[in-house]
Amino acid sequence: MGDKNSNLTSADAHQLLRRTGFGARPDQVAEIVNRTRGAVVAELLNFKPTKFKPTGKSGYVAHNRWVKYMIVKSSKRGKAGTKKGLRGRQIALQEKLVLFWHDHFATGLSKVYSVKLMGRQNLLLRQHCKGNFKEFVKAINMDAAMLEYLDTVRNHRFSPNENYGRELQELFTLGVKDFLGAANYDQEDIVQIARAFTGWGYDYRSLKVGFDEFDHNVIGDADDDGVNPQPPETGDKVIYRNHGNFGSNGISYVPVEGEGATEIDNVIEVILQHTDTDTPPRNTTARHIAKKLFQYFTHTNPETSVIDEVIGASSFDSAWDIQALLSALFVHDAFYETGELAPFDSDTKKSVRWPIDYLVGTLACLNMRLRTGDQYVDGQDGGTAYDYLGDMGQTLLDPPSVFGWDWEEAWISSFSTLARCSFACDIVTARGGTSKSKRYLQLGKVLDLAALDDGSMSPNAVAIVDAVLAAMGIPGQLDTAQHKALRTYLTGLAYPMSDAAHVNLTPDFIDEKLRGLLLLVLESPAYHIH
Amino acid sequence: MAITRRQFLKRSGVAAGAMASAGLFTNPLVRRAFAEIDDKYLVVIFLDGGNDGLNTVVPSGNANYNLRDAYQAARTLGPGGLQLSSGQLAGTSFGTDANTATPIALHPGLSGLKYLQTTYNKVAVIQGCGYPDYNLSHEVSRQIWQTGYPFSPIQNGWVGRHLHDQYTLMQIPAVCVSNSIAPEFRTTGTNVLAISRLSNFRFPYDRDHNPDNLNKDDAFNLLYGAAEGSAHALSKVVGSVGKSTLLATQSYRSLAGDWNSARSDTIKNSYIDSINDYGSGIATRLREVSRMIYGVETGATGVDCHFFQLSNGGYDTHSDQGTNGANEQHYGLHRELGDAIKVFYEDMIDLGTESRVCIVVWSEFSRRIEQNDSGTDHGSQGPMFVVGGAVNGGLYGNHPDIRANSLDDQGNTNYTQSSDPSDAFVSTDFRDVFGTILLNWVDMDLGDVQALLPTDPFVDPDHYWLTQNFNMGFL
Repeated sequence: MGDKNSNLTSADAHQLLRRTGFGARPDQVAEIVNRTRGAVVAELLNFKPTKFKPTGKSGYVAHNRWVKYMIVKSSKRGKAGTKKGLRGRQIALQEKLVLFWHDHFATGLSKVYSVKLMGRQNLLLRQHCKGNFKEFVKAINMDAAMLEYLDTVRNHRFSPNENYGRELQELFTLGVKDFLGAANYDQEDIVQIARAFTGWGYDYRSLKVGFDEFDHNVIGDADDDGVNPQPPETGDKVIYRNHGNFGSNGISYVPVEGEGATEIDNVIEVILQHTDTDTPPRNTTARHIAKKLFQYFTHTNPETSVIDEVIGASSFDSAWDIQALLSALFVHDAFYETGELAPFDSDTKKSVRWPIDYLVGTLACLNMRLRTGDQYVDGQDGGTAYDYLGDMGQTLLDPPSVFGWDWEEAWISSFSTLARCSFACDIVTARGGTSKSKRYLQLGKVLDLAALDDGSMSPNAVAIVDAVLAAMGIPGQLDTAQHKALRTYLTGLAYPMSDAAHVNLTPDFIDEKLRGLLLLVLESPAYHIH
Repeated sequence: MAITRRQFLKRSGVAAGAMASAGLFTNPLVRRAFAEIDDKYLVVIFLDGGNDGLNTVVPSGNANYNLRDAYQAARTLGPGGLQLSSGQLAGTSFGTDANTATPIALHPGLSGLKYLQTTYNKVAVIQGCGYPDYNLSHEVSRQIWQTGYPFSPIQNGWVGRHLHDQYTLMQIPAVCVSNSIAPEFRTTGTNVLAISRLSNFRFPYDRDHNPDNLNKDDAFNLLYGAAEGSAHALSKVVGSVGKSTLLATQSYRSLAGDWNSARSDTIKNSYIDSINDYGSGIATRLREVSRMIYGVETGATGVDCHFFQLSNGGYDTHSDQGTNGANEQHYGLHRELGDAIKVFYEDMIDLGTESRVCIVVWSEFSRRIEQNDSGTDHGSQGPMFVVGGAVNGGLYGNHPDIRANSLDDQGNTNYTQSSDPSDAFVSTDFRDVFGTILLNWVDMDLGDVQALLPTDPFVDPDHYWLTQNFNMGFL
């Protein structure tokens, strides 16, 4: 059993970097290996969110600016123990969190249309990414892009729109069912919560969010027009008569100071008191959010006891401090459990890398940048970050639906595999430029070529394959057969002859076989799974 | 690759009835491989830009409600005028609008479709298709058609959701003849390929070192084979998808050459003529579809696709739309479509597959009833076409009410639903057309189609689509 005082092994360091950042670079591993989990995680989380916000005249421009930000900021390199290296790791984690919340509070340009509003929401996600969850949801309630995306702007006094009331509970806080499979809310709860959000909207010119008290559905409100075929919702604004352990009378979310602006804050206060059907009852939202963060940062099937432990250690169910929750998660044994194991045994729990992680992580490990402006890869076929990510199935600022992206196996298909391989091939064939240009692949900058071919004619295929795997952050993640296949590719010799051979790292050999080896590593199944 | 029902029957020679007990159904991967579409094919063609429905399916004379008069008032004569005269429409007459008795003709450029209807009676023209609360944005309206969800964003397309239900990651049931996956085919849990040109479809290699490609293939197959053979669930998925993808890039690429050497000059030249005459992108892409169908029919390794999508641009005719002149815009677009479908259909007859192929043609909206200077702006309901050997040809749905005082504030026709079948202008919801295809062509169960295309979440029965009609009769 380990804890925050356990030292990070090399495998642990790789796991922490791969999951909290974009790829695990050897220089980053060196910065944190053999230090305690607690110390490394504390410094990692000790940052003030940046004020970056993706902007542009189109979704395409804003999308690529955000990708560029992730690539440039997270590929910062510094000497061990210096602030520069740490800053790169911190911003990488910040962006990983923004991506998580972008998926969680999914909002997309295909309904919002305004790049400006999406940019503002993106900034909001960044500011709250590791802050107080309760304040975060309250802010999302009044985010203009969200008001548009989930139809709060179409939620009127005499015709409540239930969209936000439903998703607020189903996706953002409680989840549909608790850990025991019991429903967390019912249709009446959705209807009553929808009433709280009537009257909210934003000005289409100034984009200011505001509340129209004349469009707000109040307690006992009744339709007076006589023609609306759907009776307006009336009654006491009481919720959770049947769920959440509030008793059979339920609970009113209307605060003492009356209906209006503070009412929707109070809805959140009430939801976050909702407890589940477990014995003893546990906070429903805390479990839902902690589990989803665990799934994002580790794997799909956490033990319930692990979720309860990280909530207990951080008091997330009362303090709602996301940073504390993450601190507890990133020092827990369950987080490191499968870092060392390659993805081959049935009990090895891993995740499919998100397309954005694949793209940014590859560029960060290879210390490469995309072309300024359109974020283009100068490979043989070429393409922009927007093209590659679209084909891989992750157009940022435009998740496919309110459910965000589908994770894990859903990222994988023939077409997305071709897209990942095409990106990899463009990276590997990005030839040219001066030795200073980061738009082209310079293998000598990420591999110690002199050490790998020291002129002694001693066998070096194993060392070269290991060096490429380490440079890309996945040492030890290939099984024996896969590793042998790469040695055979490199030397042109079957095993065991391959291991006895020495390859000369001539410029021609580097251009054909070393680039080829890197391509195969970028294409390899283990590189898609972490 | 998973074995298909047809291949299984070919190889094993057993009767379909005996298979239920064969034990294959206990394997979840194989069970889902027995897809409902079986050995049939569906081709979805998207006319990108908003095709002008009124100059596609035209009132050629007056009857009840005098729609021809309304047409002539909206579409003018003279320079820039878009009016098609009764004389120009005489060669492409198509039938009579059931509820108004109006004689209807296709645009003269659609002579290919007219020919197929006269010769085979296999062209269904479905008038006035749309959806409630229409949207005039290309992007929004396209998305609504592609998903079949007008009132909430949803991830997968209407075909894609079917593919998700019926196929696994071991299969490649669908191909978009394009550079990217069309949203109506977007899916998870199975594979859709985007192949713009079969002869160029390949795995990405470093072209500076082509001789090394085979070495890379060997290594790739070993890497992915090891993952596929491992006990790790995610690795298995990544491994098997990667291997079948590499195989697909190899097998699909040779289909063009196979087809070229096997098909007659008459067939090949008919595509070439259509491509040359009107620069037809549709004929170019339908030829690729023909090549893939040929591959499936002849048992090409790793080729078992049954759903195809292609699109053609240029329909956003805000200006210089033209009438029936050989070099005019809309005429050229229609020749491209009609000729290409005719060539493809006769190719399928030659191949003996015409009764197993169904083509559906849609556009994101029609155009404004009243023309502008020389073109038309965005509109609402428009016609769809369904062509295939199993189609009951003829005119379906009602012509939209194009009379000036019936139009809405934007000058577009109104979408209406009504419980009264004698209402002459009830609109056809496009979801009924798609649903009819899913039910009667793809052979999904009714309940599954009803779930795949749910009704609108509103209560007004005259304005919203609350009653599914998935037996429109054209299939």
